[in-house]
Amino acid sequence: MQRNGALQFIKTNATLIALVVLTVALALIDPTFPTARNLSNVARQVTIVGIIGVGMTMVILIAGIDLSVGSVVGVAAVVVTLLMQYGLVAWLAVPVTLLIVGGLIGLWNGFWIAHYRIPPFIITLGMLTIGRGVALSLSGGSSVPVADPSFAALGSAYIPPVPTLVLLAIAALAGVTTLVRTARDKSQANATSPLEKGLPGIVVTAAGLLLAAYVFGSSDGLPVPVAIFVVIAGLAIFVLGRTRFGRRLYALGGNEEAARLSGINVYQTKMIVYVVVSVLSALSGILLASRLNGASPNLGTMFELDAIAAVVIGGTSLAGGSGTIGGTIIGALIIGVLNNGMSLLGVSSFYQLIIKGLIISLAVWFDVLQKKNWTG
Amino acid sequence: MITEQEARPARQMSEIALKMEHIVKAFSGIRALDDVTFEARAGEVLALMGENGAGKSTLMKVLGGVWPYPTYQGDIFIKGERRRFRGPREAMDAGIAIIHQELNLITELTVAENIFLDRQPTNAFGAIDWRRLNQDAEALLVELGIFDIRPTDRVKHIAVGKQQMVEIAKALSKQASILILDEPTSALSDKEVAELFRVIRGLRQAGVCMCYISHKMEEIAEIADRVVVLRDGRTIGEAAAISDITLDQIIARMVGRELNEMYPQSAHRRGEKVFEIQNFSIQHPSLPGERKVKDVSFSVHRGEILGLCGLMGSGRTTLVSAIFGAFPDATHGEVLVDDKKVDIGSPADAIGHGIALLTEDRKALGLFLGQPITFNTTISSLQTVSSPPVGIIDRAEERVLTEQYMAQLDIRAASIDALVGTLSGGNQQKVLLARWLNASPKILILDEPTRGIDIGAKVEIHKLLNRLAEQGVAIIIISSELEEVLGMSDRILVMNEGRIVSEVTRANANRETIMEWATGARRVEK
Repeated sequence: MQRNGALQFIKTNATLIALVVLTVALALIDPTFPTARNLSNVARQVTIVGIIGVGMTMVILIAGIDLSVGSVVGVAAVVVTLLMQYGLVAWLAVPVTLLIVGGLIGLWNGFWIAHYRIPPFIITLGMLTIGRGVALSLSGGSSVPVADPSFAALGSAYIPPVPTLVLLAIAALAGVTTLVRTARDKSQANATSPLEKGLPGIVVTAAGLLLAAYVFGSSDGLPVPVAIFVVIAGLAIFVLGRTRFGRRLYALGGNEEAARLSGINVYQTKMIVYVVVSVLSALSGILLASRLNGASPNLGTMFELDAIAAVVIGGTSLAGGSGTIGGTIIGALIIGVLNNGMSLLGVSSFYQLIIKGLIISLAVWFDVLQKKNWTG
Repeated sequence: MITEQEARPARQMSEIALKMEHIVKAFSGIRALDDVTFEARAGEVLALMGENGAGKSTLMKVLGGVWPYPTYQGDIFIKGERRRFRGPREAMDAGIAIIHQELNLITELTVAENIFLDRQPTNAFGAIDWRRLNQDAEALLVELGIFDIRPTDRVKHIAVGKQQMVEIAKALSKQASILILDEPTSALSDKEVAELFRVIRGLRQAGVCMCYISHKMEEIAEIADRVVVLRDGRTIGEAAAISDITLDQIIARMVGRELNEMYPQSAHRRGEKVFEIQNFSIQHPSLPGERKVKDVSFSVHRGEILGLCGLMGSGRTTLVSAIFGAFPDATHGEVLVDDKKVDIGSPADAIGHGIALLTEDRKALGLFLGQPITFNTTISSLQTVSSPPVGIIDRAEERVLTEQYMAQLDIRAASIDALVGTLSGGNQQKVLLARWLNASPKILILDEPTRGIDIGAKVEIHKLLNRLAEQGVAIIIISSELEEVLGMSDRILVMNEGRIVSEVTRANANRETIMEWATGARRVEK
């Protein structure tokens, strides 16, 4: 029984354990890795793919896929910088870009998928090419510089250490409250599931908060993109876990026909999901343009692969119906840490590709093994 | 060559091609076949009849080698020789060909490629000899008297009736001497049925032994030489020549069980009319111009249990799915809830009007197997556990609610968090029932609510339905088990070929008459 429990623990938290092992190993091998500055950098890099990953998790949850996210990053970066070139101020250019680029592309994808039942793989593959073409033609094939200096803040500014620590403290407090409430809910409902089930979550959250306090409290503070990512991820976790909309996604991915016959508006749900992933990808592109202080039309190339990899490594099933945002964050962190660590260690970028590919294959294999548990 | 019309010859003396003796086949203790014995002769059409679930399909799987020798008991004799097939291949080599209800053709390939699949003639270099392939296929089609398809046509481009001919040609190309036809007319139009029968007569003339599985009386009367009836996995009586047995006798053999304690009586009272459909028609999904349900009208009252029966393919499931808004584009007709006309364009609309449908196939169309009991219970009525503006789910309330249903319906699971995929069939069905109870429907439609679940769970579900009726819910129940419909319903509608052909009250209902209506043995005078 004891051994069984341990095995179950390893099984359900495999990616998390992999992340911890990877991080500790890198910290032991390379002394520059665990510095606050480097980890803060990793966090910022993870943000870009992480934000897309949040949307991608929703898409894959409903058994879809969106290959056009990388191109949306490119289009959004070009459009936001061009809008500023035409004299629009940054705080207007950003929402307009989110709406036009993210909204329209999402509606386009969603319409074909929901209305004509075209396989998402095909329609978003088309959008991948279309989007890149749009980015190239709008920009004339060359980089667009940023005209409004205030735009840079979005990608490069920091929330200073002191407010950061206050925010983290608030987060910790919120965490404790939810924990107490869930425990109370469960005991109220006479649940048989013990507190131990939630224990890894508590430990990880606590460790994460402490690590965040160390990383962002001791250097320049919390990078704005990281803060945005945290907010988005938090919202998404809430939506998926606690709202009717979230339930619809799991139902749709688990069994589309049953979902329809349960009274779920499949059309509307699919539309919303594809719009959300596009808007998030556009946001990612805007942050990237801000960070780089300009947009190249080739921005975001191959991002779809990293985003999908993060989702899959994070345990979301490509067959749909099961998966979590938390898993995707861990998946994105694994990819980010791996990229950073391999670069620090001087692993050639050629090998980096091979290793990344192997890890994705492993994650999918693991997913298949897990599936067998209840369908077999 | 095949002759169009010919008198049914007496074939008392022809050779016994197939004999099955004392066949018993059990699945985890339950006997699907319990002593089946019959014989079929060369050059005859033997009709195998029985209700849904009587064991016809299992029997054919035993004969076809799908269930290999040691998994069943009893003996199979082919042309007097005992055979024990270890797999479908051996059965095929012994001359047995089975044409399943769902055709086994590769629709992207041509007619000729399908007929000679994996047995294509090759030339000296091992490449496929296309000319010979097509010639051989052509010859087979001519032999069957089929002139309007070419060997080079892609199977997906030809009608279902012709696809069946391709299956028959394929069987003949393997020199099959025993041909099993499993409900061959279920997807065919009248014209196609006529052509099929012409081919069957030709094959009979050529000495092929055919077992024809069906429950359509008129077809049996038209094509069969002898009839053998299967009930509860047993052959009932001796096979009889079609001229020596009446349709009534066949039906009596097919039903013949007594009602027992399975159907608790209840004192529910019929209230005012709550639901009505008028002139309801549904287009056939694959045959353009044909209709799956034809001009159906009926109503249900509060506190009434309405039984809907009919054989598989009679349109009952299509009808209730359409009422629930499953195929809005193919549906014509009016729906009235509380005497007001309503527009149902999707299942969500139907639920909004207080209609619930417990679907026939709980795994494919009902449950989310990878999700826990709570999720499955509340998915159709999330408003009961969430607040309106954002729809934030109160998980504590959800658990309390689910626990109540688990207690009320006696749902047994390791815990409330158990994934529904890990539950037994009966418990899964109760979870689905909980889902629809939580939607508080005015009209509850149940399509095969007790299929594949154990007796105990069955009785509990029956009791629950009676309680709901007492509370004033209008219930429509579909079941392939005639007894279930008879035992539960206040009123029974019988469907045949997409029409309601009869309506009887519980007091006047009897199995034989219902079966006659359902099989089309009795028809409405026009």
